[in-house]
Amino acid sequence: MEQSDEALCRDVANREPGAFDLLVERYQERAYRIAWSIVRDREEAKDCAQEAFIRLHEGAGSFAGQAKFSTWFYRILVNCCLDNRRRGRGWRRLLVWRDAEDEESAGDLIERQPAPPDDPGERMDEDQQMSRIWKAVETLSPQQRAAVTLQYREGLATKEIASVLNTSEATVRVHLHRAFAALRRRVGGTR
Amino acid sequence: MTAHPADRLLPYLRGELAAAERAAIDTHLAACAECRDTVRDFAALAERLARAPEPAPPLHWGAFRAQLRDKLERRQRPAAAGRRWSLWPVPATLAAGLAAVLLYLGVLGPGGLTPVGKQATLEGQVLDGRLDVVSQLDLVQNLDLFEDFDDIDRLDPPAPRHES
Repeated sequence: MEQSDEALCRDVANREPGAFDLLVERYQERAYRIAWSIVRDREEAKDCAQEAFIRLHEGAGSFAGQAKFSTWFYRILVNCCLDNRRRGRGWRRLLVWRDAEDEESAGDLIERQPAPPDDPGERMDEDQQMSRIWKAVETLSPQQRAAVTLQYREGLATKEIASVLNTSEATVRVHLHRAFAALRRRVGGTR
Repeated sequence: MTAHPADRLLPYLRGELAAAERAAIDTHLAACAECRDTVRDFAALAERLARAPEPAPPLHWGAFRAQLRDKLERRQRPAAAGRRWSLWPVPATLAAGLAAVLLYLGVLGPGGLTPVGKQATLEGQVLDGRLDVVSQLDLVQNLDLFEDFDDIDRLDPPAPRHES
């Protein structure tokens, strides 16, 4: 039977050979995907994911086992991404974030975007729709992006996202609602 | 009509609300066309986000793990070195402090020249030396004519040259 993530994490804490490599293989793609959704840069996302694994290796002993391993690890990962942001790496991108973090500014910015076409003849095809929605996600604040990615790509419940982002469930609801309201204004809802 | 449920609409769509809260939103939606539109659009967006192709650029996972191992080893190495160097800070700090005191007492001295004044004096001495050499240029140029170098000190200053 496959060993659980939680058991593997305990093995990492005990420096059992192979446990860390196994956890890395299980989580590397998710870690990179989540990091990328927050920092929007390939190299930075890779660095953040690797840093999260290093912190996991160093701090596996502090995993109490009360939460799911994935929630605990995602929290480390999101902290790495936000630390990365605070250190000012990728500052060009962060200039956009700073604007986006101001909800009013973000709203204004989105309001200035052209309205989605109503004419069915002008509707974009499926690929363009997908491309457009992810472009719109880029305009969200890092916290909003993290919440959207964790919920709609990784399938986390609002309560779990609150634990990952170290905030209240009510705050996550607000992040998600504002993110969706912005996406709706930007790309429209129903097609 | 009750207030718009706003940030409870997404949890409503995901089935995360308690039964009573869900029932309250159902009642509101029955009476509010605006919120019905919002729910419909949010549901479409959620569906698109969930099935949108992964936009992250691809990585080579073997290289990712190799680089991770390398970073981990490098992180562990300085930690071990740091433990050896941890014996140094107290003597090093004391030595640095002592050096600073000696520098102040020996070079500048209490009540002595300020660093700026000291530097200006040194620069002045260097400049004076250079000007002195220039003022005795004729003597310096003719030094190679003298066999007996002891006579040099006894020489009178050369007479001013007259240009013809």
